[in-house]
Amino acid sequence: MSVIQLRDVVKRYNTEAETIEALKNVDFYANRGEMVVVTGPSGSGKSTMLNMIGLLDTPTTGEIFLDGRNITDFDEDERTEERRSQLGFVFQDFHLLPMLTAEENVELPSMWDTDVDRRERASDLLERVGLGDRLTHTPDELSGGQQQRVAIARSLINEPDILLADEPTGNLDQDTGKTVLDEITRLKQEENIAVVSITHDEQLVEYADRVVRIVDGVVQ
Amino acid sequence: MGRTSVLRRFPSVLMAWRNLGRNRTRTALAVLGIVVGVIAIASLGMAGVALEQQATSSLGGLTDQATISPGEDIDTDGITDAQAETIRDLLPGVTVIPQKTNFTELSARNGEEANVQVTGLTNPAPLYDLSVGTEPTRLETGALISESTAQTLGLEIGDPIEYEGQLFRIRGFIASQSGFGSDGGGELVLPLSALNQQDDYNSVTIIAEDGDAATEAATTIEEHFNEDDDEVLSVTTYASVQENISSFTDTLELALLGIGSISLFVASVAILNVMLMSTIERRGEIGVLRAVGVRRGEILRMILTEAAFLGVVGGLVGAAGSLVVGVVMFNVLAGDPALALAWSSSRYLLYGFIFALVASILSGIYPAWKAANESPVDALRGS
Repeated sequence: MSVIQLRDVVKRYNTEAETIEALKNVDFYANRGEMVVVTGPSGSGKSTMLNMIGLLDTPTTGEIFLDGRNITDFDEDERTEERRSQLGFVFQDFHLLPMLTAEENVELPSMWDTDVDRRERASDLLERVGLGDRLTHTPDELSGGQQQRVAIARSLINEPDILLADEPTGNLDQDTGKTVLDEITRLKQEENIAVVSITHDEQLVEYADRVVRIVDGVVQ
Repeated sequence: MGRTSVLRRFPSVLMAWRNLGRNRTRTALAVLGIVVGVIAIASLGMAGVALEQQATSSLGGLTDQATISPGEDIDTDGITDAQAETIRDLLPGVTVIPQKTNFTELSARNGEEANVQVTGLTNPAPLYDLSVGTEPTRLETGALISESTAQTLGLEIGDPIEYEGQLFRIRGFIASQSGFGSDGGGELVLPLSALNQQDDYNSVTIIAEDGDAATEAATTIEEHFNEDDDEVLSVTTYASVQENISSFTDTLELALLGIGSISLFVASVAILNVMLMSTIERRGEIGVLRAVGVRRGEILRMILTEAAFLGVVGGLVGAAGSLVVGVVMFNVLAGDPALALAWSSSRYLLYGFIFALVASILSGIYPAWKAANESPVDALRGS
């Protein structure tokens, strides 16, 4: 069964001048252990789609299923709980907090949980992405590739079912991008998680188990 | 790492602490605003207390006294022995000092003369301060005389003084009195027996624990002796003067606190501005926190903790600064810097601190609420 599924999802934005349909009857799914890459020109609606999959936004019509549960009508707090327990995020700009160490950044999503072994898991994850010797470094002491690897470790701290990556290699050079993608692929298999990534990057497509192309809000 | 380990158990505190550390100048300026506000509130409050204490000490020890004198409707020449005894019985625990007074002219061997008021009583200690000599609690043979009169007449301790054909040795000089009740004229204090040719007392001074007790005693006396509209005994208290001064200084204190509150209000507007700016700057970051599953309530707590930190630090530094101001002020106004530590004035340090904390948290509520309730998508897009 798909771990995440969009069914007939429509997203409309009302501006003063016009109504924009960012997603037009989109169907989408992703399975565990699978890397799905969503590509498309800018403005095609792929970011909107990632927001739907990432439970950051709600569809105008249509339904969203997470692990077979219909979560379409969940309110913001319920969606927050699902994100907290099921999802991991990796962003193009890494989005690490500058005042926290690598280890603290990894712990961040579960920092408010009274979970005693999160710190161990954080250092373990950093070890696994090859940053075992950088635990107490702050982001400005790390290279772009290292920062993105910290972000990947952060996305896995809550043992998610789905990893969402928004242009994960967008700010990295080719070689660094490759190591980051190797990392994601390895973790995808080790943790048996679904990876959904949006990108322009052709390099990323090579790592995809499946490619979904979206143009003008329509999945091709 | 020790501090970090402790902080990790309080993630809001850890995050708040690190966030405040990011822009130290801004944090320091926000704290400075609070410090000034607290100093304004606390030191103006303490100034009110210092002024009240100064005013009270100018009144001297008179507020706990009442003077009973013969009223219009008394049948005798003065207050009788029986009446004095009744007063004593009516007021257990209150010092009752019946006095006989007269006037006389003293002349000295150096040719100088002086008019003095003669007071006969048994227990001069509570009423007179001596500049020279030891104060007898029972005056039986000696005399006390105003220092200024003694100087005029060239008298020294041990010299004899004559009144109505009797000789009394000078046992002490009365220091010039401060406050009310001193007419500046010379006084001669003699044993009660010296004025034996007068049957009745001219007045009775009572000394109670404090102003309230003195007022109460006065009421007791009036109720007992004065029936209907008759005024057998007339009672004068100074407590009402004290009350007037208290109510004036209370008003003054409120006015001063009002001025202080304005500066704390300005400081909390500054905190509101700082918190609002810093949350707007961190919009994207807060969006990331929300995206990775940090709850709205946790964001709210984190930002409120930042505001509370500003309040706590500003409040503590401000209270310390106010204490210094208070010590200087009490030294100047009341002559005793240690009075600044008494609860009546040091409580303003606590009030200032609490005001700072409350004002900071109140100022943090809106920015915190705004940050916590922003949609993560908008926040991320805005970054």
